[in-house]
Amino acid sequence: MTGADPIPVSVLTGFLGSGKTTMLGHLLRQPDFSRTAVIINEFGEIGLDHELIETSEDSIVALTTGCLCCKVRTDLSQTLQDLLRRRDEGSCSPFDRVVIETSGLADPAPILHALMTDPIIAARLTLGSVVATVDTVNGLATLKREAVSRKQIAVADRVVLTKLDFAEGQTEAALRGRIADLNAGAPTLRAVHGCIESTGLFDAALWDRNTGAPEFDARLAKAREHGHHSHDSEITTYAVLRTAPIQAVALTLFLEALAEHCGADLLRLKGIMSIAESPDRPAVIHGVQHVFHAPAWLDRWPSADHRSRMVFITRSIPQRWVEVLLDAIGAEVADVSVRA
Amino acid sequence: MSGAPVELACDLLTESLAAWCVAGTVERTCDGAITIGGDTEIRIEPAPRDSVFRWMVAIDGRKRPALSLLAVLRQVRKALEPDYAANRVRVAIAPLVPQ
Repeated sequence: MTGADPIPVSVLTGFLGSGKTTMLGHLLRQPDFSRTAVIINEFGEIGLDHELIETSEDSIVALTTGCLCCKVRTDLSQTLQDLLRRRDEGSCSPFDRVVIETSGLADPAPILHALMTDPIIAARLTLGSVVATVDTVNGLATLKREAVSRKQIAVADRVVLTKLDFAEGQTEAALRGRIADLNAGAPTLRAVHGCIESTGLFDAALWDRNTGAPEFDARLAKAREHGHHSHDSEITTYAVLRTAPIQAVALTLFLEALAEHCGADLLRLKGIMSIAESPDRPAVIHGVQHVFHAPAWLDRWPSADHRSRMVFITRSIPQRWVEVLLDAIGAEVADVSVRA
Repeated sequence: MSGAPVELACDLLTESLAAWCVAGTVERTCDGAITIGGDTEIRIEPAPRDSVFRWMVAIDGRKRPALSLLAVLRQVRKALEPDYAANRVRVAIAPLVPQ
């Protein structure tokens, strides 16, 4: 990216009692997690979670006005702006990363929407990773019963299994299988007694200045491998690749069509796109339901692979429809260009 | 309009009906149009070359122009799914190419 690197804002989600706060508490005690500001969203008039985390108080903000997913646009935007102002003034500990711990009942999608589309946020912050915790003991039952818990998994970049000390091996294996059905591309990690290595946990950006795009390529490979073998009838993951560059206006129309016709069924879309008008600088796209982040333009291709690559996590959106939509819009835009 | 966009539009409509789980049969006609047969009769054909529109969509005989395939899709879906309400699209404002 050009200019000062934006500060990544990551989202820690997971159903009630899945161990988010315990894990966050452990993470904040690790040295390489020290420059982290934390926003904790608690549902209820009296917040407790922020009291349970031992770290410098000036970098923790508790949002107790309600569930973030219901009031996200005003509360979260204001809170992030306040944090940035305090950082600029030097009136809080300096931070290079923000983590938002959602309430256990929160649908993460509106939070991601706010992070992707608020112009004030977008100027200085960027969407980091989405990490979801799952209680290994109760996870299977929760995923069966609670639709929001399935959505929390489906949009995650990383899934962390917690409470492993109480679970049997068979339970963990079954849970891993269910998680793979919901989100094949996300690595599943283990937190033992809440402890997990912070390295890599919140570093799931599509592209890294030093390492290229290994994370994205790995997810793409899994999506391609798993796309035709999903056992979940609701949520499927697949990859769409195109060798020929796509015209910028065709990409815009494609995203509009996806948003208009898929809405809530498009759980997440990530992609690195080859744009005809910008052959040396690919565009990174993010979408959650009917909301799309403004494309971010990379300084260069992260690897020798210059194809457009998209990973879709959807609820019952056929891959074939997505592919034909992209090709048909591309052909129409090309035809208009020729006629002009 | 060249043949490729019409062919792909036909494929797109076929796949769209499947994706939306609505009944209907999509076919190409010998005069270059696309028809969708079912409870509602729909005919889609390229607009005349001197028109600012790309397509003409006739739904149960009533003709309306469409600027793009996206507009065609919207009209067809509204005709086949009376309860369909398009999602309000939010694509963040950004330049189409890097500045």
